[in-house]
Amino acid sequence: MSLLKQIQYKIERLWQIQGEASRNRAVEALESELEEMENIFGILVCGSFLGISSPPMQITLDLIPYMEKELVLMMEKVDTASEPISQLFSIFDIS
Amino acid sequence: MKTIPKATSIFYIGKGGAGKSTSAALNSLFLAQQGLEVMIISLDPAHNQSDILEKRLSDKPRQIAPHLKAIEIDHKYWIRQYLKDIHEQIKRTYRYLTSFNLEKYFKVIKHSPCLEEYALILAFREIRRKFSKMDYLVFDMAPTALSLKFFNLPTVSLVWVNHLLSLRREIIRKREIVTRIKLMNKEIETDKVLLRIKTSIQEYTALKELFEDPDLTKINLVMNPDQLSIAESRRIVEGLKDINIPLSQVIINKSRQGCCMAYIHKEFKGLSILKLPFSETPLIGLDVLAHFLKENNDKMMAQPLKIPVS
Repeated sequence: MSLLKQIQYKIERLWQIQGEASRNRAVEALESELEEMENIFGILVCGSFLGISSPPMQITLDLIPYMEKELVLMMEKVDTASEPISQLFSIFDIS
Repeated sequence: MKTIPKATSIFYIGKGGAGKSTSAALNSLFLAQQGLEVMIISLDPAHNQSDILEKRLSDKPRQIAPHLKAIEIDHKYWIRQYLKDIHEQIKRTYRYLTSFNLEKYFKVIKHSPCLEEYALILAFREIRRKFSKMDYLVFDMAPTALSLKFFNLPTVSLVWVNHLLSLRREIIRKREIVTRIKLMNKEIETDKVLLRIKTSIQEYTALKELFEDPDLTKINLVMNPDQLSIAESRRIVEGLKDINIPLSQVIINKSRQGCCMAYIHKEFKGLSILKLPFSETPLIGLDVLAHFLKENNDKMMAQPLKIPVS
């Protein structure tokens, strides 16, 4: 590949990475909000697993086969529940 | 969406020991004698129909008399089947370790209180689907608490699933925004949870409409002419009124002349009342039931179904 083409390729690649990074930053807060909403949904449906008032059992059981992601998220949230401040700092990139 | 078949369901509810099973058996026999195809179904965990009809019953329909079949529902079987189906679905859709960790919960969940009434709903739906060609399905129900939970289940469930639907739609909307920004033109995956919620709404709505339809659902409240029975029956009437389910008839079993009748007519004003007289002979066996109907003007059983009587 000629030098010019190499430079062109590197610039294009840099542009792609920069675009990806910008998009990721743009949706970071939205993703956190989405994660919280999915967590709430998981708690609403499967709260009886955590001792929280929940829908009639058959509603929970009908939806559970499709909610692996929410269940795993709930378990992860339980792990970080004792450190909400550090999680917030992480979301807003405060060091 | 599957439509629910058109056989008329007749439910017998009331305080334990009021005579629901006997009244259901009498009504079923009467209808069968008119040449109508009838199935009597015992949804009461106490299962008295075997004793009244003097026939051993099971979850397979058994011919009892011309045009009359009987079946007994084992709610524990329905709970087991339902949990087994859910577990199979989870094993198919989850990663191995996640589904493995859930196994221990299923051993406990089968004792969850809500599942008992849901098992009756599952059995009810299956019976209506399988025996749609019957003219009448006569259900001998469990005592008051379980019966009211049975009728209430679609209404309560709809409150929850509608709330879950709006939250899920919001989640999907945000997820689509994130996907479009991060992954540009990548196709959005269909949300299976949303599809399942929508299916549940259709099913519960169909059930609710069926229970509220006075042509397809007849609910007969059986009571005895005594204070405790009257008080509980009053609570049942109010309970059904709260969920917009009409009562078809009040049946006063073991009625005697003058005994609380004026009070009962006043308490249940506006409702159709049928009096079944007290029988010295225990009403056990088809011959005894048939004799009782003949002796006590069997035409009373035609109301409020308004069927022609030969």
